[in-house]
Amino acid sequence: MIVHVTTWHGELVQVRVATEEQTDSAASTSEAATSAPNPIAPEPKELLWGAGSFLVFLVLMRLYMFPKIKKGMDARYNGIREDLEQADATRLAAKSDVAAYEAALVGVRAEAAARVDKARQTLDQERTALMADATARNGVKRQAAEAEISAARVAVRDQVAAAVASVTDRTAQLAVGKKPDASVVAQAVQQAMQTGGRS
Amino acid sequence: MMSNVIAFEFPPINELLRWKDVWAAGSLNKVGLIAVASALIGIFIFMSAAQKNPKVAPTGTRNLAEVAVEFIEDNIIMQTMGRDGLGWTPFLLTLFVFIYLCNLPGIIPLLQMPATARMAIPMFLAVLVWVIFNFSGIKHQGFFTYFKNVLFPPGVPKALYILVTPIEFISTLIVRPFSMAVRLFANMLAGHLLLVIFALLSEALLQARDKILIPVGILPLFMLLFLTAFEVLVGFLQAYIFTILAAVYIAGATHPEH
Repeated sequence: MIVHVTTWHGELVQVRVATEEQTDSAASTSEAATSAPNPIAPEPKELLWGAGSFLVFLVLMRLYMFPKIKKGMDARYNGIREDLEQADATRLAAKSDVAAYEAALVGVRAEAAARVDKARQTLDQERTALMADATARNGVKRQAAEAEISAARVAVRDQVAAAVASVTDRTAQLAVGKKPDASVVAQAVQQAMQTGGRS
Repeated sequence: MMSNVIAFEFPPINELLRWKDVWAAGSLNKVGLIAVASALIGIFIFMSAAQKNPKVAPTGTRNLAEVAVEFIEDNIIMQTMGRDGLGWTPFLLTLFVFIYLCNLPGIIPLLQMPATARMAIPMFLAVLVWVIFNFSGIKHQGFFTYFKNVLFPPGVPKALYILVTPIEFISTLIVRPFSMAVRLFANMLAGHLLLVIFALLSEALLQARDKILIPVGILPLFMLLFLTAFEVLVGFLQAYIFTILAAVYIAGATHPEH
């Protein structure tokens, strides 16, 4: 069927071009439409099948399916809840263990620090004692060395004085032709060495 | 002046809504078949879920069933009835699943007809809800107390009862089932007719003799695709609205202080 709209005496007119069969069909459709049942009215068979299906579904859901599913869900949720509670308890126990360990660790650390301090004090005391001992021994050795040096110095000085007296005695003998008094020479040499040769 | 006009024959409304019987006359038509299929699919899903081991993490039908149960409990019952209403879960769950499965065929190719786009099923469900909430109200409060609370709401000045009582009588006892049924039926029928209109328009344009009209046919085709996606949402929303209204009415009847 072809539909056209055209103007006729200034009015819009819809023109339908159709075959005879289509015209018959349209007429019968139009007739059927006027005598057709209300499209909104519920059909008894739809009502029956719809209601029956729903009620069967509802009865099965109420008596079997929902209780079983819900029971399973509750059991699993309770299991999960218990697992969570157990996990919480384990976590708390672990926390208390950690706290106890940390407390023990603090005690051990304090004890270790005390022992280290004590060892350090002992070490300091021993070092001080050893230092004092070494210092004392060094003092003794120093005094001995000083005495030895002093004795050696005196001996060398006596030897130098004797040598100088001998040289002076020989020089004076050669100069005056007679041997000078040894005690006078020795005294003169002693005086000269004490004053460093300065007059 | 003469001009060509694009037009197509829109089929008579009964051709879109009334379906021939599958076998014997007056036995079962497409709408009845969809209702039966919806119930069978629902039974299959929940029966299959009930058979699975509940102790392992849920998958497949079990997961679907548990999601549906939790949705009804958390988003409908706890919001409207509170913990006391959990006993209504099987009824509301069945109501929601059945309506949703009856709505879905509106967008499934070949089926393309929501069973709720006919008045029978929404009307039955609305009347069932009406019977249930009135029965619950009578059971919980007693016949006279229930109707007294419905028709003479506490806290309203006595002079206003002249106005309030007829309104409450009409709104609670007459309009509620009517509005529930019409809301579901009209929404699904409108969606169905929109899809039909855009499908016919797409077909008419894509098969037009005038080749220039063929590309224009893409526009209603896109609209058809959009409306099909939209109908998925509408189908879910209408099932949800019907179920939550049922819950609200039952809660109101069993707890008049609400």
